This record gives sequence, structure tokens and C-alpha cells, in this order.
Amino acid sequence: MNSIVAIVKQQFLILRRDPWFLMIMFLMPLVVMPLFKKTMAFSLQASGYANATGAEQVVPGQVVMFGFFVGGSSGFCLFREHGWRTWDRLRASSASSRAVLIGFVFPWIVIVTIFQVVLLSVGGLILGLRLNGGSPIAELLVVIGYASCVVTLVMLVAATLRTVNQVNAFQNVGAMAFAGLGGALVPVAQLPAWARAVGPITPAYWAMKGHNAVFLERGGVSDVVVPVAVLLGASAVLLAVATFRFRVDETKQFFA
Amino acid sequence: MLQVHDVRKAYGDVQALTGASLEVAAGNIVSLLGRNGAGKSTLLSIIAGLVRADHGSVVVDGIDVIAKPKQATGLVGIAPQHTGIYPPLSVRENLEFFGELAGLRSTERRSQANVTAERLGLTALLDRKAMKLSGGEARRLHTACALVHRPKVLMLDEPTVGADVTTRAQIIEAVRDLATEGAAILYTTHYLPEVEALDASIVVIDSGRVLTTGTRAELIAAHRTAGIRFETSTPLTTDLLVQLRATEVSANVYQVDGVTDLAAVFRQLTDAGVAVASIAALTPDLESVFTAITGATLVEAPA
Repeated sequence: MNSIVAIVKQQFLILRRDPWFLMIMFLMPLVVMPLFKKTMAFSLQASGYANATGAEQVVPGQVVMFGFFVGGSSGFCLFREHGWRTWDRLRASSASSRAVLIGFVFPWIVIVTIFQVVLLSVGGLILGLRLNGGSPIAELLVVIGYASCVVTLVMLVAATLRTVNQVNAFQNVGAMAFAGLGGALVPVAQLPAWARAVGPITPAYWAMKGHNAVFLERGGVSDVVVPVAVLLGASAVLLAVATFRFRVDETKQFFA
Repeated sequence: MLQVHDVRKAYGDVQALTGASLEVAAGNIVSLLGRNGAGKSTLLSIIAGLVRADHGSVVVDGIDVIAKPKQATGLVGIAPQHTGIYPPLSVRENLEFFGELAGLRSTERRSQANVTAERLGLTALLDRKAMKLSGGEARRLHTACALVHRPKVLMLDEPTVGADVTTRAQIIEAVRDLATEGAAILYTTHYLPEVEALDASIVVIDSGRVLTTGTRAELIAAHRTAGIRFETSTPLTTDLLVQLRATEVSANVYQVDGVTDLAAVFRQLTDAGVAVASIAALTPDLESVFTAITGATLVEAPA
């Protein structure tokens, strides 16, 4: 437990030394959101939400996509340790491989959660997104579920892949592909049939299902139970597989 | 404190260790001498629990490291060959992180970070980020991170590679102090004056095997080779080289092995009309001992 606490503190400390990464990730969607608000208003209205402003789709949609970009960076911590040549020192310490993995996962779930909450709040404020009776607790559960799912997925990928470039590629392609297939870019109803069939395998689909339940359907906690359960359940499975797959003596290549 | 017995390790077809055994008692410094690829780093990695041995036993303070690797980690400190520190963190944060990983509590962590920084001349740099340290300072921090939790067994893998004279002196001083305080220290280097400065016992390792062990004096006594070295003002003729059974070491510097009669060699040279600039009996040193044992030279790793 001591070693998990030490690693968690250290991860937060390292991130605090480079806040620009999060700042850029935060500003970018704020620029994108207004560009698509009107288009999304038409899309939602065509899908049966006559009073939709577009913010109900574009704000959570960008939060989901950029949440994946931020969560994708969690995979770099494993590789960074190899680049800084501190990996062997961690291994030689009393920290078990499970402690190292949890020490890397936990701070990023917190970071991705905070990132989403702040972006939803600021984006919502700018674009006029209102809960309108939807439950803030239900929304928070969706955000936490999505953060957990993204970070554990990326950790599994990082535990499996050998180079940081591969993780980087997964982060970029995954963020956009999952956002597209999951209905974060345009409502699911507007997607072609094949995409609607594939969508449920993406974390973005379940996150958007939860966001839609809160923002479009004015739902409460009971309305997001299924998407949150899917996201948290998937997180548990992904973390278990990542722990099983994680090999501390495997050589990883950081940026050359 | 540290007992290594018949440790073997192969990477595929390559035999890295073919039965290495050694012991380091509390308060002792043992210098592991060997060429690149001799098996030094593999042996240290096995003791630190980083690599699993195929055979043999490693016991640290009564704990079998191979059977229970995590139980011994708090007792062992290792500074691997390559500098490994966290660049965005300050010197203090680096030290305290490794202290916390080793289980030190908050107050102890802070005081140990101060003591360790003092020991390695890092006190004035405690609040400086590691990325802003010079190469020598980073190397000292790298070493400090291994000893911040006061390990009973400390392993330093070529700690002074690329270090300046001041850093070398500080690391050596710190190592000696730790040994005085009771730590068992295993120290690998290619730089033989360090072995002498540490007054370390020596373990010579080659091709994954321990060839010999002993103090510097014991090894020199056991492996000294007689000989005479002289310098002339002009090159020797081939006939005279054959007659003396001398070999040319460098320009106008020659060596006759297995001979101790300095006067006889000098007479032969002067009788042949050779002007002798200097002549002396060979002084055995660790380098020549190493060469006598392994048949190879021990060159310092490039910085």
C-alpha cells in the first residue's frame, strides 16, 4: 500500500510540473465546440429532440473524444520510466508489479475525471448546456465510468505494446475512431447501420448513452445504471487482463 | 551479509553466469572486476531481484532473494549502470520518492534525504530539478537514490562512469563512510585506482565465472610477474632485442619478462653501446594482476 501511495503522489507531482499538456487538451475542444453547435442542433432535432440546441451533443461529444486523448497519455508513464531509466529502480524497490500498475492507473482516472468535469462545466457555460432536470450525480457517474474505462484500456494496450510510438498511434486513432463510432461526433442515429452495429464495443458509445440520458432525457441515476455498469465492468475486466499481461521484465522503447 | 553461491544464468545460448559465488560481510567493500560482458551487471541484477537466476542461491541478511525477492528489497540498494532519476522532480523529491518506496516514514524520509544529500555534496541542490543538474551532479543523485534508505547491502554498478574528479572523490568517500557504518558494498568498476582508494577486497570475474578473490596485496603477491622495463635514446637493433628477449612496449621503451637481474640487463645494453635513459624493475599493479589472471586488459568504459 505504501508503494502505491508513493507512486500515486509521484505521478501527480510529475504532471504538476507540466500543466501545459492538460491546458492544450482543455483549450482545443473549447475552440471546436462552437463550430459544430448549429450542425448538431439540426442533427438532434432530426433525431426527435425538437428543443435541442446542439450543445447537448457537441459538449459531451468533445469531452468524450478529448477525454480519450488525455487518458491515452496514461500509457506513456510506463514507457517514460524506461526512457528515464528508472524502471529497474522501481522494479528493485518493494513495489510489486500490481502496485506499480495501480499506482499508474489511479492518478490518471482522477485526472481524466477532473478534466471531463471542468470541460463539461466550462464548455456548457459557453455553449449554454443545461442539466434541465438531469441528475448531476448521474452525470458524474458517467464521467467516472468513462475515465476508468479509457485509462484501464490504455494501460492494457501499454502493457501489451512494445514502443511508445505504438501507444501514441493507438491514442490518436482510438480517440477519433471510438468517438466517431460511439456517437460522440454525430448522434448515433445519424450513423450508418454498420457503425451503429460496431458502436457498442467502444467506451465512447456507453459514455454518450449516459450523457444523452442526462442531458437529452433529463435522466437520473437509475437511467445511467446500464452505461455506467458497462463502463465500470469493462474497466474491471481490462484492469484484470492488464495485470495478467503486464511483464515487468519486458523491455519497452521510449522515444528514440 | 550477502552470500552468493553457484549462481548461473543463460540468455538463450549465451551463458552470462556459469557458477558465480562470492560473499560480502557487513562493513566490507568488495570490488567486482571484469571486462564488459564478464557477467558483473547480470550478477548485480540477480542480487537485486531484477533478473531470475537459473540456478544457485543469493542470501541477503538471511533472506533467500531468489525464493522471496520482494522480502529483501528493503535491505538492498542498487544504483544501476545507467543514470536513472526523475528529471522533472527536484533532488529532494527524487530522494524522498525512493525513500518512501523503501518504506521510510515522512520525518525519516526528510532527514535521510538531508543526510544523503550532505554525504554526496547535493545539499545546495536539494531544490533544483534533476533535469537542471550537470552530468556529475546527476550521477551523484543517481547514487544517492540507492543509499537514501540506508540499505544493508549496497550495489553500485560503475558509479563513476563519466564522472569528474570531484564526483569520483565524493562517491568514493560516501561509499567508505557507508562501509564504516556497517553496510556490505558490492562495487563494480573498470577504474582500478578507485579499487585502491576504497581499499576494497577484489573479486575477478570473467566469462560468468569468479576466477579469484582476495585483497589487493594478496592478489599482487599471488600473481606478480617479474620483469624489467627500460627506455633507450635510440631504438634497439633486432639482434639485441632477440639477445635480451625484450619486447617493445612503446617507442624506445622495452620490457624483459621473467628477469630480475637489473644490473645484468643494464650491462648488456651498455656493452652494446646503447644509451639507457631509464631502467627499473617492473612494479606489479592491479592491471598486471588482472591481465595475468584473465589474459586480458581491463579498460575503463568510455564516458
